[in-house]
Amino acid sequence: MMNLNAITVQFGGLTALKGVSLSIGAEEVVGLVGPNGAGKTTLFNVISGLVRPTGGAASFNGANVLTTPMYKRARMGIGRTFQIPQPMHELTVRQNLLVAQRFGTGSVNLAKIDEILAFLHLTDKADRDAAQDLSLSELKALEVGKALATAPKLLLLDEVLAGLETTSKRAFMKTLIELHRVYRISILIIEHDIETISTLCPRVCVLNYGQLIADGTPQEVFSNAEVIKSYTGGGHD
Amino acid sequence: MKLRILLPILVVLYGLVPFLFGGNNYIMSILVASLTIAGIALAWALLGNLGGMVSFGHAAFFGVGAYISALLTMKLGVPIFWAMLAGGVGSAIASIAILPALRLSGPYFALAILAYAHIFRVLATEFSGITGGAGGLLGIPVLPTVLGYSFSSKVGGYLVIITIIVIFAFIYDRIRNSYYGFALKAMHESEDATRVVGVHSTMLKAMMLFLSAFMTGVIGAFNSHYINFLEPDYAFNSGWTMLPVVAAIFGGYRTLTGPLVGAVVIYTVDQLFFKNYIPSGHQIILGALLGVMILFSPDGLMPLITKKLRWRRQVKASPSPSQETETI
Amino acid sequence: MFNLILQSLYSGLLSGGYFALIALGLALVFGTMKVINLAHGEMVLLAAYMAYVMESKLGLNPLMAIPLALVVACLVSVTVYFLVSRIGKNRELNSLILTFGIGIILTNAMLIVWSADIHSTAVAAFQEPVALGPLFSMKSELAFFGVSMALVGVLWWWLSRSWYGRALRAVSSNRDAAKLMGINPYRTEIVSFVVAGVLASVAGVALYCTNVIQPALGGSLTTKAFIITVLAGVGSIPGVLIGAVLIGVVEALTVTLFSSALQEFTSMALFLLVLFVLPNGLFGGARRRG
Repeated sequence: MMNLNAITVQFGGLTALKGVSLSIGAEEVVGLVGPNGAGKTTLFNVISGLVRPTGGAASFNGANVLTTPMYKRARMGIGRTFQIPQPMHELTVRQNLLVAQRFGTGSVNLAKIDEILAFLHLTDKADRDAAQDLSLSELKALEVGKALATAPKLLLLDEVLAGLETTSKRAFMKTLIELHRVYRISILIIEHDIETISTLCPRVCVLNYGQLIADGTPQEVFSNAEVIKSYTGGGHD
Repeated sequence: MKLRILLPILVVLYGLVPFLFGGNNYIMSILVASLTIAGIALAWALLGNLGGMVSFGHAAFFGVGAYISALLTMKLGVPIFWAMLAGGVGSAIASIAILPALRLSGPYFALAILAYAHIFRVLATEFSGITGGAGGLLGIPVLPTVLGYSFSSKVGGYLVIITIIVIFAFIYDRIRNSYYGFALKAMHESEDATRVVGVHSTMLKAMMLFLSAFMTGVIGAFNSHYINFLEPDYAFNSGWTMLPVVAAIFGGYRTLTGPLVGAVVIYTVDQLFFKNYIPSGHQIILGALLGVMILFSPDGLMPLITKKLRWRRQVKASPSPSQETETI
Repeated sequence: MFNLILQSLYSGLLSGGYFALIALGLALVFGTMKVINLAHGEMVLLAAYMAYVMESKLGLNPLMAIPLALVVACLVSVTVYFLVSRIGKNRELNSLILTFGIGIILTNAMLIVWSADIHSTAVAAFQEPVALGPLFSMKSELAFFGVSMALVGVLWWWLSRSWYGRALRAVSSNRDAAKLMGINPYRTEIVSFVVAGVLASVAGVALYCTNVIQPALGGSLTTKAFIITVLAGVGSIPGVLIGAVLIGVVEALTVTLFSSALQEFTSMALFLLVLFVLPNGLFGGARRRG
C-alpha cells in the first residue's frame, strides 16, 4: 500500500535520511525505532508532506505521494500525529475533530465524531478548549483523534507514549491495540520503549544515522548485532 | 445573530434613522461617510480576524474599486450597480498581485501591502489618459433611480451603504461560523496541524484576501458614485487605511459589530468635536486612541461592554475560555 | 546624458548616507525585539525639526541642534520602547499597530506645532556647491555623507567589538539562550532603542540641512527605511549601507530620467520585487517566514 523507495533527505550539510526503502501493506502494524536523531520523525515528515526529500520516490496505493501537496495527503489516506501535540488552537476538542473530518474526508459524520471521542475517552472534554484545558495524555489522545477523524488508511504515530507516566501509558497502549482491531488501518509507530514496540508490532524497522539497518520481527531485529551496536553506541564507521 | 436582536436593528437602520435624520443633510453626510469607513473597517477586520493578516494598505483596494466603477460607468455606460460589483471584483483581482506576500510574516505583509497602495496611487496619477491624472475625474454618475426612488439623495446613499454593510456582515458571519471559519481560526497559531488534516490553508487565506479586497472595492465604488469625483490622492489616501484601522481596533476587531460601531463613533466624534478643537492635526487624538486601545484593551471596546453585560447576567462561575465565541 | 546619469548616481550615493542611518536604527530595533517601529521616520523628522527650531527660533547654526536632537530622539525612542514592552500578547502585530498610532501622534503633533509649511536650512554655507571632479553637490550633502559613513563605521566596530554589541547580536538570535548566558535582554533592548535614537538624530539634522522637510514626510521615511532593511536582508550592516545607496541612486535616477512623481514608485516596486523574488534580501541569510 505504501512504498518508499530510496528516500534521501539532506538539510544543508546534514543527511537526515539516506536511501531508505520500505513497504507497508494494508492493516499492517509496523514499529519504527532507532536512537535519537536517526531520522524517524523526518521519515514521517516526508510521508506526511512537511519535508520534501532530496531524492527517492514514494507511492501510496499507486499514486505518487511526493507530487501531492501536503494538504491533499490526508484525503489520500495518510494521517499523522505530532510528537509534541499540536492541537488546533482556539477550537474545542470536538471542533478539532470536526475540522479534521470535514477537510480530511470531505464530509461530516457527527456519529463518527462521537464514536472517536468515546474510543479515546475524550467525551467529557469534548467542549473544552483543546489548547488550554487538556492534560498531556488527553492532548496525545486528541492527536490520535484528529488523525482518525480523517479516516486514514495509514496512521503515523509519532511517540504518542512519550512523556506519559505508567498508568496513562498502559491505558494508551490498550487504546492503540484496540485502534488496530477496530479501525483496521495500517499503523506505523515510532516509539523508544522496546517492550512497547515488541508488544504492539509484529514487524519492526530500525533506523540509524538515516539508514534502514533492520526490518523484521521484533525477535530478529533486537537480536541483530548492528541494531544492538546502534543503541549501545558502537561508534561511527 | 439571533433574529430577536437583528430585526429591531434593521428596523432602526432602515426606518427610524432615515425618518429622524433624513431631513438634515449635514447629519446624513456624516452618517454616510462614517458608514463608508465602517464598511472598510469590517473588511479589514475580516482579513485580520479570519485571514490572520494585518494590512496597512486597504486604501489600495478602495481606490481600485472606485476607479474601476467610475470608469466603467463613464466610458462604457455600464449600469451603476453592476459597475460597483465590477469594482469589487477588480479589487479582488488586483489583490492577486499581493498573494506572494501571504507567506511572509505579519509585519512584512502589512508593509508589503502598504507599498502596494503607494504604487497604485502613483500609477493612477501617471496614467492620466485613463484616470484623469492628478486633476481627477469629474462628473461621475450618481447612484441611479430604481423603481421610482432616487438613490442619488443623501438618504438614498445612506440606504445603499447600509444595505451593502448588512450583506457583508451577513457573509462575514456565515463564514465565521462555518467549518472554514473554524479552520481559519485554528490556522493562526497551528497552521501545520490544520494542513496535516487536509486544510488547504494557503487557499483559505487567499480567499479571505480576495473577499476583503472585494468588499473594500465595492465600498470604494459606492463612494465614487456618492461624491461624484475622484482623484488619485483622494482615492488612495492613507486615511482610507488609517480610519478603518482605528475604528476596528477601537470597536474590537474580533467581533462583527465592533468595527462598525467603532467607525460610526470614531468618525462622528472626530468630525463633530476633534476637528473643531484642533482644525489641523485633530487626528492626533485618533493616534492616541489607537495607542491606548492596544495597550489597555487590545480586543476593543465592544467586547469590554458585552463582557460587562454578560457578567451582570450570570451568577455561576465564568465560562471556559473557548465559550467566549463572539456571536455579535 | 551620461553626465546627468553620473551626477544622479553621485547624488544618490550621498543621500544614501543618512538613509543608511535611518535604516540601521530600524534594523537594530527589529533585530533585538522583533518589533518594527513604524514611528521611526517621525522620530527622524522630529530631530530635523529640532534643527529647524535651532536655526529659525534661536538663530544658531543647525549643527548646534545635534545635542538637542539627540536628547529628543532618544527620549522618544525610549518612550516607544517602554510602551511596546507593555504589550501583553501578540507583540509582533500589536506593536505594529501601536507604533502606527504613535507615528500618527507625532506627525500630527508636528503639524500642530509647525504647520504644514515646508522648511529647509537657509544657512548659505551649507548650500554652497562643492565639486568633486565633474560632479557637484551641496557642501552639506558631502559633509553629512562623511559624518554618516563615520557613524556607520563606529557602529560596526561597536557591534563587533564591544560587550553590548555582542549582547545585541546574542539577544537577536536567541533570547532565551542569551538570558542563560547572563545577558540582560531588557538592557540590551533599551540600548538598541537608544542607539536607534542617536542614529535618527544625526539623520534628522542631515535631512534638514540637505533637503526640505514637512510633517507628512515621516511616513515615507519609515517606509523607505523598511524597504532598505528588506533589501539588505537580516543581520548585515554592509548590506544596509549598500541597500541605502541603492535606494538613493534609484530615486535619483528616476527623478532625472523619468519624473519626480515616480520617485517613490520605483523604490516601492524594487521593494516588492525583492520581497517576492529574493525573500532573504540581497545579502541576508536568515529565513523570514513567520
